[in-house]
Amino acid sequence: MKRVSALLGLGVAALVVQGAFATLVPPPACPDLALLVLVGIGLRWESLAGGLLLAVFLGYATDLLSGSLLGQHALLDLFAFAGTGIAARQLNLRGSWPLAFFAAGVVFVYGLLMLAITGFFVGGAELRLGWLGSQLVHALVSGACAPSVSALVGRVSGWADDDPGHRSLGLDAVRRPA
Amino acid sequence: MPDLLKRIGAPVLFGLLALLAVVTMVSDRRSLAEGGRDLPWWQAIMLEIAVPVQDVVTAPVDGIREMWADYVALREVRAENTRLHARLAELAEANLQYREALVASGHLQQVAAMRDDFEIPMLPAEVVGLDVMPWFRSVLVDRGKAHGVQAGNPVITAEGVVGLVTATSRHAAKTMLLLDRQSAIDGIVQRSRARGIVRGRGTDQLAFEFVVRGGDVKVGDIVITSGLGGVYPKGLRIGEVEHLLDPAGGLRQTASLRPAVDYGRLEQIFVMMRRGPTMDLLYDSEARAESVESGRAPGRPAS
Repeated sequence: MKRVSALLGLGVAALVVQGAFATLVPPPACPDLALLVLVGIGLRWESLAGGLLLAVFLGYATDLLSGSLLGQHALLDLFAFAGTGIAARQLNLRGSWPLAFFAAGVVFVYGLLMLAITGFFVGGAELRLGWLGSQLVHALVSGACAPSVSALVGRVSGWADDDPGHRSLGLDAVRRPA
Repeated sequence: MPDLLKRIGAPVLFGLLALLAVVTMVSDRRSLAEGGRDLPWWQAIMLEIAVPVQDVVTAPVDGIREMWADYVALREVRAENTRLHARLAELAEANLQYREALVASGHLQQVAAMRDDFEIPMLPAEVVGLDVMPWFRSVLVDRGKAHGVQAGNPVITAEGVVGLVTATSRHAAKTMLLLDRQSAIDGIVQRSRARGIVRGRGTDQLAFEFVVRGGDVKVGDIVITSGLGGVYPKGLRIGEVEHLLDPAGGLRQTASLRPAVDYGRLEQIFVMMRRGPTMDLLYDSEARAESVESGRAPGRPAS
């Protein structure tokens, strides 16, 4: 429970900091900290059901601080979390570079799906070259921040781990590929 | 059996949560089409947390930015002062001539009535956070229901239209900017009175869709609110035509507008404390429906 609360707190804090950061730098150059926290959680979470609830909560929190429809980020966060969980079982994401590339890919696809959902519900969301360019910058900036954010998630997760055995052994909880 | 439950538990939960997200999206789309909503307490908590924290995080940077702007402004102030004095004299002269012309044509009373239309109480508010996602254009402001702000209130600056309040909590309000893809308002070209729809494109530009037959549109034309649509009052500046996207096109054309408001430097805004008639109709019908259910007299929603 402590771990869930700590990670939820970290996710909400990431959102708030991201909102403040957006006033200082242009939107594409602002990393998607909340999504990176979710990716960090997805790399470590053992129970898929609990993680899905955490993802949907963070998604709804994002929706409240964003101009999106309520549920839009919640839906995509579910997919992002499940996708990260599956990828962590199949790929070796333990190094900084693989993780950065993976996170950049997640952010880029997330943006495309967001545009598609907005187009479906609201309309007027055509894919433009300029938009793709700024989305690519956003994905790269986010990817560059991914290893640090993932390490932070690991620290918070370790600190708040309810299992004292994990804490005393200092286990790195990132899953190894099967 | 427990093994089966364990195996299908997560996919079933995933499906249920995805369905819940889709249902809330559809319901939110409907409430947005009706001008926004006052958030229930469990949703408002997020805005209430975000406002003070974002205020603290951005305050030092805002301070430094303001000092730099003051320094730069001071360097230019002398030349600008001379320029402005000359401009003021020109405008005073032009103003006198216009007044004379208006008196002569008996339109002064109409002008006075128009001024009354614009005398809407305004609430100054500070922008404390931008949209956390780059795909949407909204801002978080530090005034909410406790200050009388309601979903559906237009938001402006001295330069022109900013957007519309779409959700409120007790001490915060989320405002959808004109730039957002979900935003569309009725506008007219000030010079030719050509009418059209101004739509957000999710970028720093606006799109003005107009019918060629209604009047001509040229680069440099100013587009203002038409007052139709019943959300924004007439005459607020929206932007300037930057280029025509398809000058040789058909009957329906699109022009690209540079917004009158610099959204990148949005700090202080004004919330118009009176909703347009469309918003009032929507909210009053909601209030009427509620009052029929609860057996009380209809009225405006509580602020």
